[in-house]
Amino acid sequence: MTDGGADSASPPSVELEAIRKRFGPVVALDGVDLAAFPGEVHALVGENGAGKTTLMGVLSGVVRADQGVIRIAGRSVRLAKPRDAWASGIGMVHQHLTLVPELTVLENVALGVRSAAWGLRLPFDQVRSRLEALSHETGLSVDPDVVVERLSVGERQRVEILKVLNRDPRVLVLDEPTSVLAPREVEEFFHVLRGLAYEGRTVLLIAHKIDEILAVADRITVLRGGRVVHSGASHAMDSGSLAHLMIGRDVAARELPQPSEPGAELVRLEGVSARGSRGEVALSDVHLTVRRGEIVGVAGVDGNGQRELALLLAGAESPESGSVQLPDTVGFVPADRMGEALVPDFDLTQNVALALTDMPKYRRGALLRWGRLRSATARLMDRHGVGAPSLDVRAWMLSGGNQQKLVVGRELIRSQALLIAHNPTRGLDVAAGRFVQDELRRLSRSTKEADGEDPPGIVVISSDLDEVLELSDRLFVLRKGRLLTVPEARRTREFVGALMLAYDGDSGE
Amino acid sequence: MGIRVNRVLRFGGLWVALAALLITGVVAVGALVAGGYDPGVALSALVRGAAGSPEQLFSVTLVRSVPLILTGLAVALAFRAGVWNIGAEGQLYAGAIAGVWVGLAAGDLPGWIVVPLVLLVSSTAGAVWALIPTLMRLRLGVYEVITTILMNFVAIQLVGYMVSGPLQESRGVFPQTDAISASARLPLLIPGTRLHIGFAVALLLGAALWVVLRSTVFGFRLQVVGQSPAAARITGRIDGARVIFVTFLASGGLAGLAGAMEVSGRTFALYEGLSPGWGYTAIAVALLAGLHPMGVVGVGILFGALEGGAGAMQREAGIPEAWVSGIEALVILAVLAADQGRKWFARTRSERARPAESSVG
Repeated sequence: MTDGGADSASPPSVELEAIRKRFGPVVALDGVDLAAFPGEVHALVGENGAGKTTLMGVLSGVVRADQGVIRIAGRSVRLAKPRDAWASGIGMVHQHLTLVPELTVLENVALGVRSAAWGLRLPFDQVRSRLEALSHETGLSVDPDVVVERLSVGERQRVEILKVLNRDPRVLVLDEPTSVLAPREVEEFFHVLRGLAYEGRTVLLIAHKIDEILAVADRITVLRGGRVVHSGASHAMDSGSLAHLMIGRDVAARELPQPSEPGAELVRLEGVSARGSRGEVALSDVHLTVRRGEIVGVAGVDGNGQRELALLLAGAESPESGSVQLPDTVGFVPADRMGEALVPDFDLTQNVALALTDMPKYRRGALLRWGRLRSATARLMDRHGVGAPSLDVRAWMLSGGNQQKLVVGRELIRSQALLIAHNPTRGLDVAAGRFVQDELRRLSRSTKEADGEDPPGIVVISSDLDEVLELSDRLFVLRKGRLLTVPEARRTREFVGALMLAYDGDSGE
Repeated sequence: MGIRVNRVLRFGGLWVALAALLITGVVAVGALVAGGYDPGVALSALVRGAAGSPEQLFSVTLVRSVPLILTGLAVALAFRAGVWNIGAEGQLYAGAIAGVWVGLAAGDLPGWIVVPLVLLVSSTAGAVWALIPTLMRLRLGVYEVITTILMNFVAIQLVGYMVSGPLQESRGVFPQTDAISASARLPLLIPGTRLHIGFAVALLLGAALWVVLRSTVFGFRLQVVGQSPAAARITGRIDGARVIFVTFLASGGLAGLAGAMEVSGRTFALYEGLSPGWGYTAIAVALLAGLHPMGVVGVGILFGALEGGAGAMQREAGIPEAWVSGIEALVILAVLAADQGRKWFARTRSERARPAESSVG
């Protein structure tokens, strides 16, 4: 349970008890307790993958919890579908907006109404007067007759909230609402949220920008790895302690990687710029070298050029400008294991073959040497401890950890020189994640192999700060497409975290 | 060899096929009873019509299986690469037009020249007919399910134009072409029957395609592209557009070849309605075969028997031939249902097995 908030005399408007949810082998929520009270703005924070979105899914009836109890205003409820959540008085404002751009504000709001007259006629007059009243109450003013596509993103979000408020929910859930707003709009928006809470509603806010959370929330619940690690009043926290809670364990208690002597240079990026899939500038003027025997860490929140840098280093894409020097073959562990690294419906041998069809050793002219591929797969599974009943099971039947071991092993067959790993432990449980990390470290520290080559160079691109702090010999932060060097002297969680999340002074860009 | 049959199968394989046949059989018998027919009489008529005599087996069932196998292979190959070619019918007609034209124009040449020429030109025509949807998909991103269907209608109209225009018979009475000369006709496989060498060609192509899919680099890459374009590009470094280009044209070529086999092996002339929808039935054939080339050969013969027996069923049991089309359509639904059932079964089984296993990871 949480410690008592200001209004703990009244029953919590939302109370979650021991909510558990797993997706296959991934435990997304591991016994989450949460209590939010009428009249409070309650922020739910955590890093990517901490379970925030799954928890909101549970509350809005999109995701069904495996275990646990949900109580609304003291009454136990079952939220099996979105309609149940509505009926219980939970209103969800989605991260992606759900308005019809061609219709007016009034029409959009009316669409959300379950009307009388068998849904044949939308109750426009009724909605119009309700909208006027709501605008008055909350200060969310929008012209009801303007077509939505003419509105700014901030105005559209206001409409989205009005649409939800029109159904008079007791609990308003907002999923990262400020991500689409300009700084000035954010302030106005917070003012509105405070007003809604003041009226006695509960505002449940999912967020990850630390300054904003501290500015608006009465109480803060921090999720990490599917568990609640802290829940308490916001005035007892500052940005440092909140970042610490979000990011996790203390690094000083852990063994730092032994310094190694880097070998020959493998990678050289000079002044590299690249665009993302939507044409936006994803990398700008990146300089980077990687040598054999070292682990280069790139920390940062996904979406800041991580994917583009990974594909570039893997040799799967070329830059828009700048020069790139890479070894002939590069091993690549992509972030999307089931989508990009493996073919779920293929068996293990086929999944190993997937990366090796260009290698002469596994071909005889136009034919694949399945016998060799099969024994290579068997050896790989043995060496990397891939737990699977046989080579003939499909990849999707393995646990996440075993899938990742298979991928890492396969990529080492492809290249003994350079390995690029993007979020290599995401979605794995702690033990499996640790195993993969140890494997990467062991590789970079291994002495000369039988073929006389130095150990490979490894690049770990990760949004898991602990991971890169622990593994890297040299550390960078990739933020907004720029690669920032972390000086050896300032390799602390606080400094790197601040650089990643940009909650200090320089976030204004 | 390291590879097993089930590794090449996209769908669940033999069990799904058997389950689908069982579902189809039960529903078909139920429908016959509900329609007031005697299922026993119907089935025995069907079997006798399909394989009651050597004449029925060789001259009807197996002859009809040739276009079904070839278009079935065309569909199976395309589907494996994630190319949803619904246009085998149009590609077949394109091949038939080209084949009859070569047969009419070059009929004076000796058979050992004309026949290979007919087959070559027909399959090229089928590939060309597939080229338009291919380019539209690769260059413009237009979904081939739509374009291939539309190209079918264009091909059917083109046949109508040809047989009442440029290629109409010299008498100018009926909307059909003249018969092609003897040298342009396919040699018989079994003398005294109507079974032509097209059947042997279909079997050989089925076997060849099997080898391509299970043993060659290209065949493997084709299936990777079909299963996961993202994994193909990022992990496999496969040029997906090239794979799709080659596969789509090969698929069109196989369907075009089916058209050549029809005009050069069975009808010896082109007319409207030459194909009773082989190119559509091919989808049922390919799916029931689990997209396996040798499975396509087997299912092609089975469907040839169904088509062959349909006439007897109408004569002896008074059941309209349309029932057979209904059964073929039912097969598609049954395969999808059976495959869904397999997936569900595999998932529940592995979920039960997983908690024990994940502790290893």
